[in-house]
Formats: sequence, structure tokens, C-alpha cells
Amino acid sequence: MSASNALRLAFRRLVNAGNSSQIPPSFLIPSLLASKTQTQTTSFSSTSTYSIQRRDNNPDRGVSTQRRTGPREPLSVSKTELPKPVPDPSKRSKAKVDPDHGLWEFFHSRDKTMNTPDEDAEYGRPWSVDELRSKSWEDLHSLWWMCCKERNRIQTERYERDRLSAGYGDFESLEREKTVRRTQRAIKHALTERYYSWRDALEVAKDDPEINLSGKGPLYTPFEYTEEDTTGEDTMVPEITDGAEVEQPRQNAPGS
Amino acid sequence: MSTAVTTVVSNVVRKGPKLGRKQIFLPNFTLTLLRTPALPPTFATFIVPLNLNKLDIRDYLWNVYDVRVNSVRSYIQLQKMRQDKAGAKRPAQRRWHRPRSIKRMTVEMERPFVWPEEPRDYEKWDKETHDAAEADRDQGEEGLRPDARRKASKERESMAEQAKQLLRQTEDAEWENVGGLVEVEQDVPYQI
Repeated sequence: MSASNALRLAFRRLVNAGNSSQIPPSFLIPSLLASKTQTQTTSFSSTSTYSIQRRDNNPDRGVSTQRRTGPREPLSVSKTELPKPVPDPSKRSKAKVDPDHGLWEFFHSRDKTMNTPDEDAEYGRPWSVDELRSKSWEDLHSLWWMCCKERNRIQTERYERDRLSAGYGDFESLEREKTVRRTQRAIKHALTERYYSWRDALEVAKDDPEINLSGKGPLYTPFEYTEEDTTGEDTMVPEITDGAEVEQPRQNAPGS
Repeated sequence: MSTAVTTVVSNVVRKGPKLGRKQIFLPNFTLTLLRTPALPPTFATFIVPLNLNKLDIRDYLWNVYDVRVNSVRSYIQLQKMRQDKAGAKRPAQRRWHRPRSIKRMTVEMERPFVWPEEPRDYEKWDKETHDAAEADRDQGEEGLRPDARRKASKERESMAEQAKQLLRQTEDAEWENVGGLVEVEQDVPYQI
């Protein structure tokens, strides 16, 4: 297009010049064809350039396929600046920890990583089986989980003490854990006893006419009250110590 | 695990992740929380029993500690071979034993958590006495090792050093001029 335009212009000039009898010689025609702004240029590389810009047709280039997050490294087109590393750890920004964070329960106190031996030695006695017999399953279950958490705490602090080589305290923490484990053993003991008594009761219930184990109808149908039975029962009933009367331990859960 | 533990934790309704339905009522294992200053504060590392898997720890932390976990990674570290078991008083030679592997799990939490600071002085743990006792015990154990006889004892080393010092002193000593030769045994007749 541009070449043909230039040619047309040149011819017009020639024609106009002919009118004024100032016709340039014919050998100058090529120089007239070249426009004033045109400069000769060569590409830096001899390889041919793509006329069409190459395009990546993937709109999710650099995006995680699983989590749909952006590319790991900021690209050259990213607007955000790269963070500068702070070599001094004391000058780094501190993370804000919530006071109700669950991992606080891995420590006995919030101001230090581990208990001193004196603090570790302050614990009560384990729960006895006798005390636990009168407890409900919910109570026993929650007590078991208390023990689990306490053991996690003791284990974490023991590991930390070893890592820092802080000194004494192994004996105290071991004794403390022993107490917790004794409580756990007592819980299992009480539950095992409960299971055996339930199994025995089931055996007795099979022969009991008042109890219907077939699954149809009410489970327990007490017989009519008769005088003969009461006279017999009065003498037969043994004295049962009420479980609720058992005194609670003063320091119930270790670590409290 | 989920339903079993929710009875223990508060009755407040919490919307948790999609939890498992395996019920564990009386677990008998411990988690050890490790200090990991190199990790970002949203990460926490635990030593866990070998049979615990990633889903288990996610449910455990949610139900027991009310910690929401976004991701878990796990690593089992093989332990070095050693002679005889760890508790053996006098380890038998060539009875090889490999201690149980250690499983670590690193969880990414929703909320950050930073450990409390390390104690500055260990006076309450009586570190000085503890370290001195340990050094003393190590010294005592050195004498019981099989190659203890071949090694020079500390007394011998110190004696050698003292002897060297003595020699050095005699070499460097300046002699004092006390006059010409003096016959000591003057009362003895000189005979050839």
C-alpha cells in the first residue's frame, strides 16, 4: 500500500515538474520513490519473527488444580512486592495467639514451656476403684479424657525438658504420670466390674418371670403386691451401702 | 471418634470439618507437641503413635482440643540400629536391635499458635547440680570401657606434664658462680 502511494506521488511530482520544465533525469526515479521518513532497518536476529503473538490458551496457567490458589512464586506481572527477609528473629513480627487456642491445653501454664519439678510434684492421689464404682459412664468417660490430656501435657513437657537439657524433673513427671495411669486403670477396673455384673444380671433375668427379654411388650412387669412376699423380703434384703455416700477425693483429678 | 468425644467437650454447637464416624471411647495413647520455631505459627508438629493416621489426628484435634486442621503431613523416621535394647543394663555385643520408628505429623491449623518462651535460667530445675552429676557419671563410666586400660590415665598425663616443666626449668635456669673448684674430701689422703 505504502509503496504504491509513494509511486503515485512520485509520478504526480514528475508530471507537475514537467509542466515547469524542470524534469529530473530518469536515473533519479528510484531515489524519488523512497519517501523522506523511510530508513533502512535490519532486524537484530536473522530468524524470522512470528507475525501472530503466541498465546497460551490456558486461563488457569499457574493456578493449583486442587486448591485453586495462585502460582507459588510471584510472577513478573504481579503488582505485590516481594517481602524482604528479616534475619534477626527478634525483629520479626509476632503472631497473635488467641487466648482460647486449643493447643494451650498442651501446657500446664501459659508463661513457661514446662513445669518446675516442685510444681510437677504437687498432685493428689489417684482415684480409687471404690470411688469410681458409683460414677456414671459419662463421668468416667470425661475423667478418662482428662487423664488423656494430662498425659499429653506431661509428655510434651518431658520432651521439652530433654531438648533443653533443663536439669532435674524427670522423676517428678514420671511419678505424676504414674498417678494418672493408675486412675485410668481404676476406670477400666470399674467398667469391667460393671460389665461382669451386667452379664450376671442377664443370666438371672432369663429365669426371672417378672422380666421379659423377648423384645415384645414391656421389659419389667412387677407382680401384684402380696403379704407373703414382703415378709420374706424383709428378712432377705441385705444392707447395701449407698455409693453416693462415698466421700469424694479432695484432689480429684491430678493436676487440678 | 467424633460422637464419643463430643459428649465430653462443651455442648456448644461447632461446625467442624467432615469428620469420621469411627468411635473410640477409651484411647490409650499420647500426643507430644513439639517446638518448631522454623515453621510458620499456623503449623504444629506432634509425635504420634505409629497406627494413627492423618484423618485420625484431624478428628482428634477437633474433638478434644477444638483445633481446626486444614491439612496434615506425616513422616515416619527410621531409627538407628543399636546393640541390644535400650533398657539393657549391660548391652550384649552383636545382638542387634532397631528401636521403634518415630512418627511425626505436622498439621496446618486455621489459627496460629506460638509456644511460650523458653525459661532464661534453670535454677528451679537445678541444672548445675544435674550437669555436674552427669559429668561425674560419664567420667566414672569411662573407666569401665574396654579400651580404658590402653588410654593414659589423667594422673599419668599430669605427671608427664610436670616432668616436662621441670626439665624446661633446669634448661632455662641461670647458673650462679660460686667460685673455683673446692676439694670436698680434704681430710682423705690423696694417693695413686
